Amino acid sequence: MGHILITGADGYLGRQVAARLLRDTDDRLTLTVRTADPGRRAALADLLDDRRVDVVPADVRDADPFAAVDAAGVTTIVHAAAVTAFNVDAPTALAVNVEGTAKVAAFARRCPRLTRLLALSTLFAAGRRTGTVTETRHDDTAGFVNHYEWSKWAAERRLLTEADAAGLPLTVARLATIVAEDGTGTVGQYNAFHNTLKLFCYGLLSLMPGDPKTPLYLATAEFTARGLAHLARPDVPSGIYHLAPAPEEAAPLGELVDLAFDVFERDPGFRRRRLLRPAFCDIDGFRDLVEGTRGFGASPMRQALDSVSPFAEQMFLAKDFDSTRLRTAWPAAPATDTRRLVEATCTHLVTTRFGRRAP
Amino acid sequence: MTDVYVDNFVYALGERKLHVTESEAQGLLLSSAADLMAAGFEWHHRCEPDTTAYDLAVTTANQLVRGPLDGVDAIVYATCLPHNANVGSAEEWRRTRDVKHLMDFPASRLQADLGLDGSVVIGLNQQACTAMLGSVRVAGALLGAEPDWQRVLCLTADRFPDGARYEQSYNLISDGAAACVVSRQPAAFRVLTAHQITNGGLSDASDDETVGSYFSYVARLVRETLDRAHLAPGDVDWVVPQNTHRKTWDILSRIVGIGAERVWMPSLPDAGHVISADNVVNLASLVESGRLRRGQRVLLLMAGFGLNWQSLILEATGDAAMPASGRGSQPDHGARELAERSVT
Repeated sequence: MGHILITGADGYLGRQVAARLLRDTDDRLTLTVRTADPGRRAALADLLDDRRVDVVPADVRDADPFAAVDAAGVTTIVHAAAVTAFNVDAPTALAVNVEGTAKVAAFARRCPRLTRLLALSTLFAAGRRTGTVTETRHDDTAGFVNHYEWSKWAAERRLLTEADAAGLPLTVARLATIVAEDGTGTVGQYNAFHNTLKLFCYGLLSLMPGDPKTPLYLATAEFTARGLAHLARPDVPSGIYHLAPAPEEAAPLGELVDLAFDVFERDPGFRRRRLLRPAFCDIDGFRDLVEGTRGFGASPMRQALDSVSPFAEQMFLAKDFDSTRLRTAWPAAPATDTRRLVEATCTHLVTTRFGRRAP
Repeated sequence: MTDVYVDNFVYALGERKLHVTESEAQGLLLSSAADLMAAGFEWHHRCEPDTTAYDLAVTTANQLVRGPLDGVDAIVYATCLPHNANVGSAEEWRRTRDVKHLMDFPASRLQADLGLDGSVVIGLNQQACTAMLGSVRVAGALLGAEPDWQRVLCLTADRFPDGARYEQSYNLISDGAAACVVSRQPAAFRVLTAHQITNGGLSDASDDETVGSYFSYVARLVRETLDRAHLAPGDVDWVVPQNTHRKTWDILSRIVGIGAERVWMPSLPDAGHVISADNVVNLASLVESGRLRRGQRVLLLMAGFGLNWQSLILEATGDAAMPASGRGSQPDHGARELAERSVT
């Protein structure tokens, strides 16, 4: 029986991976939760019934966050702790995503039985590069749109360097944007994707920054957690994977915006308001809008734009994320029907008024 | 639209010119003065307490009374705020409960006060800030429907009620009035087309929703207006919009394909959003600038509550009636100088 340590287990994906690993393995799980937030433990209530699970407070910003974990027995580390907001500030991104990851790597070196260090990264670690993006390590020559992207790239670099030096069994899983729990479209965690749709649905934004042809790589938490559980297995080759839909499964931004409005327009209240589909604007136009609304104080529009603007530039940077390695290592990877996923997700968003009422 | 022409653009602003910081200090704003200044607003004009919207209308129309108004067949009198379409005494209404005091129409008074005895009056008061452009559209339609008519006076006049905030949807507001004459005879501008979109589903839109829908609807308005006139964006020489955030047309110009250098709204810092009169204020400025050439096309745009969006495309004819600038008079009772100009 193995012993799996999951960092950030009280986070959205951490919980999902923990549940999946409990289901798929006989291993013991140690879940780390942030010490700064005692309420987070409650989020794990459904997992704590299992006697294989124990919880350890660990904040990756601490000097030695895993001091309370017995390294001798750990066979697998799933590093899910991260700040994932696109608008994270540089110091926080550095402290949590980069230096926190380095501490995980340092702990991994102290684990003699370790068979897999699985680090959750993001497709956005590719930064501003365009074209085909392969499942290989990136350099930083293309630059980054925000501190989040940079920090995930920097975390990858630290880990890969450590792995080379210490022979760590490292796997980096670059994740797609998670928009729903599963194919039902139920939204478990709201992010910039949902906030953008909310702006459109409530008539607070009629400009879409981006190129309508830019492909979007969207996934469910179920797909992602299953993939992570698979990549955590010691018999699966280590390395870098794009845990994402295949390029042919991605869908262009313009088509998905239209699809979202098709769903919105099924709602009589939305239809009555006759909100137009957004006009696509260039990045300078969008920046002008963001700058122009700075004087709007704490208005809903201002707050929503704050969540959208940090990633807006990516909507102009078309990328094809090659996932050949993933498909080889995980032949049973389910296909993603991006259009159906977006339709189901938008239906859920409209039905629940973006989470304000029960479906 | 029947071939119609328009000229004699005149306007008047409220007598009291205030800096945005003064208005902030008086509690007349929602946003901070600093935020409004960042948006390009600086000064605005308010009426004195005893100046009515009708006073503004008279002051404006008096600038035309010699010549252009002779033989006017109709007056289209537009107000943004419906309460400005009644000059009856509220006190008399409360005292007598006689609704005639709610139907003392300024258009009728104007006809009598200016001696425009041969004209009929038409009120337009549910188009908000777009009403001035709407009045030109209605005037054109009237000339098309009445073969014997030659000229229609279009006039808009509004002041905010006492106690009102002078900010709407993040725009600094001025009280003001404007007028022009739409005629069958060739004049300074030929009206190439007029267009309107109404979305009653957004009649209760919040400020944020109004701003949020602005870009897509104005883009649609421009596209449909050009289509009606069988023109392309490159055929437009000037855009004369309402006075709104200085960044607005930096954004829109890229979306609609009309260069920002062709957008003319120099009165933004000095006058703010003059309710329904912005287009006239800015068009007068364009004419006075001497940059307008014969044959050039001017696109006028306005958005307003309702929600309404309206537009005109005018073509400068360079005819004898090409406007020359001048100054008009003050309100009949006013003691202070009005910021007003005429282009006749």
